[in-house]
Amino acid sequence: MAANLTRLLEHKLQTSSAVTAQRCVRLFSTQQQQSEVNDDEEFRVLNLRTVKQQARRREIKKDAVQPPRTSRMAVDQDWTAVWSGPRSFHPASVPLPLRQGYTERGAAAPSKYANAELMKIPNFLHLTPPAIRQQCEAIKKFCTPWPKGLETEAKWKRHFPIEVLSTDYCHSLPTIRHPEARRVTITLKLSDLQFDAHAKDKFLRLVGERYNQETGVLTFVTDRCPTRKQNYDYALYLLTACYHESFVTEPWEDTKSEADMEEYHFERNQAKKSAEAILNWNSKAEQKVAASPSYATSVEQLINEGENEYNLAKYKEEVLKMLKITV
Amino acid sequence: MNFLKKASGSLLPIAEAQLSNNSAIHTSAVCCRVQSGRYRITTKRDRPLTYEMANPPHFIGHRKSWNSWNTSTLKDSLRPSQTAIEDVFLRKFITGTWHALVCSEIIIKRQHNTIRIAAIIRQAISPRKMYFLIGYTEELLSYWMQCPVTLELQTVADKKDVVFKYI
Repeated sequence: MAANLTRLLEHKLQTSSAVTAQRCVRLFSTQQQQSEVNDDEEFRVLNLRTVKQQARRREIKKDAVQPPRTSRMAVDQDWTAVWSGPRSFHPASVPLPLRQGYTERGAAAPSKYANAELMKIPNFLHLTPPAIRQQCEAIKKFCTPWPKGLETEAKWKRHFPIEVLSTDYCHSLPTIRHPEARRVTITLKLSDLQFDAHAKDKFLRLVGERYNQETGVLTFVTDRCPTRKQNYDYALYLLTACYHESFVTEPWEDTKSEADMEEYHFERNQAKKSAEAILNWNSKAEQKVAASPSYATSVEQLINEGENEYNLAKYKEEVLKMLKITV
Repeated sequence: MNFLKKASGSLLPIAEAQLSNNSAIHTSAVCCRVQSGRYRITTKRDRPLTYEMANPPHFIGHRKSWNSWNTSTLKDSLRPSQTAIEDVFLRKFITGTWHALVCSEIIIKRQHNTIRIAAIIRQAISPRKMYFLIGYTEELLSYWMQCPVTLELQTVADKKDVVFKYI
């Protein structure tokens, strides 16, 4: 019991001496704290002469600033959790010794702390290869396999001859609309449509400049409706209407004279009559001999394509053959 | 001139003489002075400059970057003037709300319909007040701009941390 008591006393003494030591330190530190300490321990002093106390200067208490997060980061941490989306650069979150800025005379570039230049430039810290892989894995369940039989471009061109072009605009505005996004362009090859001679001629007249003679591609551009859907529908309507209209023969189309023809046709012209007249010279037979089709094509070529060496030679050959002249 | 000759035969020679004397074009020296965004050197060499201030505007795109990032400045883009005015307003609002706390230029990045505002702030107020100001700024600005506004702040302990050089 006695031993216990002495131990307690000793302990108390030690603690009290420690407290006094601390107090000494405090006493030396500031005058204000000394007065506080005195207030605590001794009786209050009656202050008869009102001594003007010095106005205490308020100390601004600053909270301890946390050390940068990078110092506590594990080496194998999940970076996508740290930097999940697009964000301005923050030096305390990026454990890279980055520097940016121009300095003269070979001085080191400004460090990443308090560096506004690093905050300005767009960064791709949210698009690291693991992050992209992770996001691709996440959206994989929404994907469907590529349809069979459409492996090559030639195959899908055969099944889907019409190509639809439209533009999406990504911009930094409160609105997502862009007036140019309504424009729709559909293209297809004229060879994908089936025509007879009259229909093709009429179709080309209807579409006018929308048909490119050199490439054989038909293009419809629509932008007169306010939305893309309406413009797409309108473009398809135009194509359908032109195609079906081209098969209709109006009564006034029969009045097309030789002067209106855009191409020379052997069947409709004097050349056929002259050739037949020569072939059937003085013949009494009921069956009249017609000019051969190869002669007809050579005449058409000569007039439609113009006189060149090949066409003239071909024409000469055909004429000699028709008249049965051996040179 | 012929009708003038007829009108005033005697006065014309005097007028012509005057014209020939004063016919020279008045010229003055061309003023090529450009002052904006450039700072004068003080005699004591004690004017603090941030990196942004230390590089004059013709270094934008070479040594320093733009403070506003948006698509309105591209050719044939929509709302270029409205975006510029909004940026001015955002800058004024932030410098006023974070009074005497903003140490850098205010960087405004627009991405689709969101606005991200980045700045360097002094650690002069308690974190609690700072959180309040962040929320207050984001809330009010997103109401006025009609789009989400995000504040991405970096803090520095002292104003001197952002000083690049003294001139």
